Amino acid sequence: MKERSVIHFNVADFAVSVERVVDSGLRARPLIIAPLQAARAVVYDMSEEAFRDGVRKGMALRQATKICRGATLLAPRPALYQKAMTAFLKEVQNYSPLIESGFADGHLFVDVTGTHRLHGPPPDIGLRIRRYVRTHLGINPIWTLGTSKLVSKVASRLVKPVGEYIVSPGDEALFLAPLPVALLPGLTRQELRKLEEFHLTTVGALAGLSRQQLKVPFGSRSDYLHDISQGIDDSAVSTSSSTTQTVDCEQSFADDTNDRQEVEAVVVDLVSRAGQYLRARRQVARRVGVWLRYSDGSHVVRQASRRVGSNSDFVLHNLALSALQRAWVKRTRLRSCRLVCDRLHKQSPQLLLFPDKGIKERRQEKLLGAMDTIRNRFGHQLIRLGSRSSMADGVRSTIH
Amino acid sequence: MKAVPGRVDLIVPAGTKTAGSGHQCALYVGTCGYSYTEWVDSGFYPVNTKNSAMLGLYSRCFSVVELNYTWYQMARADAIARMVDKAPEHLLFAAKLTRTMTHERDADWQEQLVLYCQGIAPLKKRLVAVLVQLPPDFDRTIGNRNYLAALLDGLQEFPIAVEFRHVSWAVDSVFAELERRKVSLVTVDEPELPGLFPSLDIVTNPALFYVRFHGRNSTGWRSGNMQKKFNYDYSEEELRSWTEMYIRPMAARADRGMLFFNNHVQAQAPRNAQKLARILIDK
Repeated sequence: MKERSVIHFNVADFAVSVERVVDSGLRARPLIIAPLQAARAVVYDMSEEAFRDGVRKGMALRQATKICRGATLLAPRPALYQKAMTAFLKEVQNYSPLIESGFADGHLFVDVTGTHRLHGPPPDIGLRIRRYVRTHLGINPIWTLGTSKLVSKVASRLVKPVGEYIVSPGDEALFLAPLPVALLPGLTRQELRKLEEFHLTTVGALAGLSRQQLKVPFGSRSDYLHDISQGIDDSAVSTSSSTTQTVDCEQSFADDTNDRQEVEAVVVDLVSRAGQYLRARRQVARRVGVWLRYSDGSHVVRQASRRVGSNSDFVLHNLALSALQRAWVKRTRLRSCRLVCDRLHKQSPQLLLFPDKGIKERRQEKLLGAMDTIRNRFGHQLIRLGSRSSMADGVRSTIH
Repeated sequence: MKAVPGRVDLIVPAGTKTAGSGHQCALYVGTCGYSYTEWVDSGFYPVNTKNSAMLGLYSRCFSVVELNYTWYQMARADAIARMVDKAPEHLLFAAKLTRTMTHERDADWQEQLVLYCQGIAPLKKRLVAVLVQLPPDFDRTIGNRNYLAALLDGLQEFPIAVEFRHVSWAVDSVFAELERRKVSLVTVDEPELPGLFPSLDIVTNPALFYVRFHGRNSTGWRSGNMQKKFNYDYSEEELRSWTEMYIRPMAARADRGMLFFNNHVQAQAPRNAQKLARILIDK
């Protein structure tokens, strides 16, 4: 297999960086970005100075301002951050079509494998993009180079908030070995806790265990843990046309709640919005994620997926409830619930020779089609599936 | 005695410049960097060569390499120690100074210098020189002169070679100061464009002279694209002529000479280096 060259760019505290470009007077001062009008505002982003004082993303603004009294407060401007991100992406697109980016968060992976004849060695590409972004956009991204997303991501966590790191091909395992396991991406809190209980504090210590040994405490996650500890990551840099496109709906509760029935009712409503959106675009989703944001600022994310994509509310609902079941781990009251459908792809236009759906599914399909027609004409709230409590307004639906 | 690949002991006959009854100079030919996927495509490395195998293959042809990744990122002792451990014993190294002390000077450059010195420490006796390449806009102002003096002071535990890109440094007082400090002035071959530092056969350190062949691609030089800038294939004629005009006179005044090719595009650098080695052997 050909050795890959994956560059990870990461602008630490992206929103803060962009605000500081707009107003240079904000530099070298603690800065907290949060929705100032909201009664229960939480921190959206904060500067390095505020971070050092203990402010964290998702922390209640009231608490953050107590910890960091001298901080300047600003309301978030997502449109501005998206504009900066678009300009950043535009420059990167000159070097490779394989770019995986987050939503206006200053993170992106670029696969530059095979572009050397056109653009020169990968380190030079990383440096040139950084120089351009620094000169023309005024932001200074970290850039790291590795043979996979895993390695370049860990390297950028290592040099944060500024710098660069090149991990030579073949050096992956040796590079990772002395690092703390907490630097590895994709590990849950429970897994980190378990690793700590076993005194597996470094990646090297984790790498010393076989798949079989890891199987006992970590079950189906043992393969993943084993691979990442060895620096093995074959995941592709996915472009925005595939996995990074999502259907994203969120609802904030009028009052914080831990009433399961109320939350399930919200999930049903979010599913119906996502389903309608997908059907209108003739797309199907293979994964549904449920994000639960708690009143203490923390959040839990769980997902459920299936092999075959679907845009049926009934199928998506089952996936969402399954994800909700897994996410329901705390008794703390919830502030909002978010539903994300991803792994989208086009619904096949090809009709099957023999119908693959039973009578029930075909009826459901017809029913959803009729509901969509009514909703398109008279609004989403007019018709709903039965046995649900009424929904409060305020659902925000965005497509990333 | 076992032959060392890419090394030629040049005997300069009596009567050549300052040499008396004949003088022997050990010339090492190599390239700026060795880890280029393009060199696999161009046939210098065998098909499917992995990056980790490149240094071993490189050292079958050459005995010195200029490390240029230390320019992109701060030298790290653990990574350099791993590389040195894997490298054959005959291979020597030159290490480029990190850009945060040359092209993108930070306010904390003195801390960077300490880190750099620690980072290259594993090279020990295999280090032929630290290459201080200065950017084209680094002209001879008082501020820049003071900065360079402080930088050279900070690196004095290592052999040093300085490459100027701005023509204002081509004055006798600069050469005299380099001579006093036993710092090698880098002789460059590059396109004949206004404002560039000229090719000179001046030796400021009798222990070592240092040459960098950048190619003569005058149209690509200021394109900002390395693939254009360093895309040049030296002809045998050009290398022969250069040998007579520069290498032989410098070899007569130094014990050792390092000759690096930077025209890496399409593996022209290693091929030109091999070509030059053959020319020198013929002498």
